[in-house]
Amino acid sequence: MAIIEVKDLTKEYRLGQLVNLKDSLKKIFLNSKNQSDSKNKQFKALDSLNFKIEQGEVVGIIGTNGAGKSTLLKILSGITTPTQGNVYVDAKVAPLIEVGAGLVPDLTGRENIYLNGTILGMKRSEIKAKFDDIVEFAELEEFVDTPIKRYSSGMQVRLGFSIATSIDADLLIVDEVLAVGDLAFQRKCFDRMENMIKRQGKTVLLVSHNIRQIERMCDRVLLLDHGNILMDDKASKVCNVFYENNDKKIRLQAKSSQSNIRSTGEVELKDFYFQDVLTGNKTETVQYNSDVDVVLKLKLNKPLKKPIIVFGVHSTDFVYITTTTSGEELRSLELDTGEYEFTFRIKQLPLLPRTYSARISIDVEEPVKNVFFGENMFQFSIVAGQDFQRTSPENEGFFKLETQWQQPEKAGL
Amino acid sequence: MIRVIRDLYNYRELIMALAIKNITVRYKQAYLGLLWAVLKPVLLMLIFTLVKSFVGIDSGNIPYPVLTFAALMPWIFFQESASEGISSVVGNTNLVRKIYFPREVFPLTAMVTKLVELGISFFILALLMIYYHMVPGWSVLWVPVIILYTMLVALTISLFGSALNVYYRDVATALPVVLSLLMYASPVIYPLSLVKEKFLEQQIAGDWSDTLYTLYTMNPLAGIIDAFQGALFRNTAPDFAAILPGFIVIMILLPLSYVYFKRAEAYFADVI
Repeated sequence: MAIIEVKDLTKEYRLGQLVNLKDSLKKIFLNSKNQSDSKNKQFKALDSLNFKIEQGEVVGIIGTNGAGKSTLLKILSGITTPTQGNVYVDAKVAPLIEVGAGLVPDLTGRENIYLNGTILGMKRSEIKAKFDDIVEFAELEEFVDTPIKRYSSGMQVRLGFSIATSIDADLLIVDEVLAVGDLAFQRKCFDRMENMIKRQGKTVLLVSHNIRQIERMCDRVLLLDHGNILMDDKASKVCNVFYENNDKKIRLQAKSSQSNIRSTGEVELKDFYFQDVLTGNKTETVQYNSDVDVVLKLKLNKPLKKPIIVFGVHSTDFVYITTTTSGEELRSLELDTGEYEFTFRIKQLPLLPRTYSARISIDVEEPVKNVFFGENMFQFSIVAGQDFQRTSPENEGFFKLETQWQQPEKAGL
Repeated sequence: MIRVIRDLYNYRELIMALAIKNITVRYKQAYLGLLWAVLKPVLLMLIFTLVKSFVGIDSGNIPYPVLTFAALMPWIFFQESASEGISSVVGNTNLVRKIYFPREVFPLTAMVTKLVELGISFFILALLMIYYHMVPGWSVLWVPVIILYTMLVALTISLFGSALNVYYRDVATALPVVLSLLMYASPVIYPLSLVKEKFLEQQIAGDWSDTLYTLYTMNPLAGIIDAFQGALFRNTAPDFAAILPGFIVIMILLPLSYVYFKRAEAYFADVI
């Protein structure tokens, strides 16, 4: 039995402002679908979507900004209505659209738990039974009788999350709420969500920009783009497509200089690129598990004493993956002003096929300071042969581990 | 109709919780707390009493302060339920955009909040009645009915108004002005008996007198205030002739107002 069924769902927004009283009265009293004569342009936030979600599925929704994710969630949770098409939602919905919506600053934590719980559709008796759990999870035992306007923002968010996730609903609609609080609390939220999903068999719709999280938690993912479903498939497949699209986009953006650079002006970066080991040409693609040279051209405006050059690789979403430094090899270098070219070889680059970015940083030891730092300096893709299965389990992550297995031994005597 | 009421019954806990919030938030850091709620009718009563001593308004055998206080109670309840109801949807923008429940909860909550304040006014009224040695008769049982009817009147305005206010914020600004004018067209400062006497008995406007009186009583508050005073002080049932014109108006407008609200509700989150 489908718990959500969406047919030809279209949502249009009118661009510009509402014009006058007559028009909007007409819009409401007359048949509102007949708007073709309207002067304002329509903007399709969602364009005839069709999909079904079965009981117990965990479905992620991803897409770039403005793809229609939030609009879709708003329609599914009843906050707004579709312009055309039908939506059936056959379950009690817990909408976690925004954590802490409806928390009242003047009320105490205790009062807010009752109020917010009721707003989210819990019965008073239900809240009473869960009260201690909510407080404990939010780690607010001491502060429960203090008005929440005196709370730190982290405390408020914790309270909001704790209340929202204690609803006993069959369908959870979650919009980017996992990114709350400090790291330890994020971990806790994540575990709680995972527990709700995996163990209690709830149906979950999850919107997030954190694709790793989506990939990990969801069985199925919808990829939205400009109000259309671009893809609806297994999580790993869709996330890969999303990454590829995103990589392309990021590479395009990076071409028009999207690097984050901080420099003291003592050193200018003239050139920085990968060089093919065989041909000696500039390259942006490297064969999986093969060597590559890195070339770095610097112009020194001041003499440099004992420089340390740091080279790093990060993913296109800025997860630092690996770092190497010139360290001992160039330790006692003293450079005069002028232009220099540095080269080093990376042996058997073990990164798995994907797009990555390079980072460079130059420090000096006397006096200790950073003279140049640049992230996202250029992008490169690791490529592999046709038989390389990007989505197979052993190729998940950033690099491969070389492992050696031994035959199992029977424990005991 | 029955479905509407059942839905509302299902949301009673929410309405109560929101009303309690309104009251606690409003009076939490105020030293006088809930006493502020009765300050307005008490002050107005004192001013009207002062004015009355100059211009002379015939209040019959009922002491004028009690009479006008009893008029101010339903009037202020109506006025504030309506004006707070109108700004209630816009005032809860964060909830409207984030969480779904039937939006009529907002104007209703505004009204329930005011109902609590009305309850407090009853204590003041009781004190006044004790002071003037007045004892209500059995007709006092009409009071809940009259208040219920006042709620319907307030809802008629606040449902339509709060929905329209989402589109045009003019409404919430204009309404208090209109309502404060309406007070003079309602028997608050003067009793209805006076109006009735001038129009129906003395026929002061000639042939137009009866029509004008009907027009006057099309304001539901005319009948309400008179009935409220009657039930409390004169031990009489409501004057149905004075109530009927207003009642008809409300019975026509309330469903329209509700339908408009429900239609507009679907767009609240987009427009607000």
